[in-house]
Amino acid sequence: MDMKTLPTTELRTLLAAVSEHGKQHLVEVEADLLQTTYLLSEAIEKLGASFMAVHEIVSEQQDVIDHLIAAHHFESEETQQLEAFKEKIGVEVNAAVTGLQFQDLTSQLLTRTIKRVTGLKDLLHELGNHSNSIDAEHEHEEIAKFLDEMSRSLHVGSRALSGGLLRSVDQQDMASGDIELF
Amino acid sequence: MAKTILAVDDSGSLRQMVAFSLKAAGYDVVQAVDGQDGLNKAKEKTVDLVLTDQNMPIMDGLTLIKNLRELGSYQKVPILMLTTESSDEMKAKGKAAGANGWLVKPFDPKRLIEVVQKVIGS
Repeated sequence: MDMKTLPTTELRTLLAAVSEHGKQHLVEVEADLLQTTYLLSEAIEKLGASFMAVHEIVSEQQDVIDHLIAAHHFESEETQQLEAFKEKIGVEVNAAVTGLQFQDLTSQLLTRTIKRVTGLKDLLHELGNHSNSIDAEHEHEEIAKFLDEMSRSLHVGSRALSGGLLRSVDQQDMASGDIELF
Repeated sequence: MAKTILAVDDSGSLRQMVAFSLKAAGYDVVQAVDGQDGLNKAKEKTVDLVLTDQNMPIMDGLTLIKNLRELGSYQKVPILMLTTESSDEMKAKGKAAGANGWLVKPFDPKRLIEVVQKVIGS
């Protein structure tokens, strides 16, 4: 294909389409992430409240059991069994406390992801805006100017995004972390 | 009299789990939602130990530690970090700021209590 002039109109149309199409997807992604954040937040609130309520009831139940053991004669085997149950409950409560910290970790990851999506959306918005300013009559100069502006926008956007992000969460599972005393 | 621990974290669920674990071990717990809130509460009443997160809005954990260490009443009070951060670089920054220990999230309540008992006693 022999082209003596740059396909400015096509380029503008393509960039506008990329910008619009990309933004539409990112709006959906952002909405889903926000909904996930909200659902996780509500879930942990309900789980936390239920956990506390169950723990309170089990504690009260244990007080009754302790009182019964002190006031009545139980077979040694039965007392040992009750003690074993108490220990098992303690182990499970500890495991639940560790597991219930999932929302703290996931919300940090989601916040980072939402900020990245917002940054990408802003960038696509810039792309759409700049592409509209390409003038067909001064196409070479306009395209060079456009590319330069886009590069600068990319650089500024990338720096702003990196600066505004918290560090990533390294945890890959819910195993309890290391402890170090200085 | 029960010893008091200041738990600073922007996550409500995390604060709830920290408070639950420490109260079950017999400690009083004061909660703060970020570094600035932690600093304000620390000034209101000198606590026996501070347990703080790092990444929080308004004021992060390292800044809180630096501010606390500038207060006469907090020069000797143990401060532990409880955070998702686990890099040697961040631990070194924490140590330089005045932290006495580093706990990586998620925490195991039994181990948390063992560490707290080791640092400030029962």
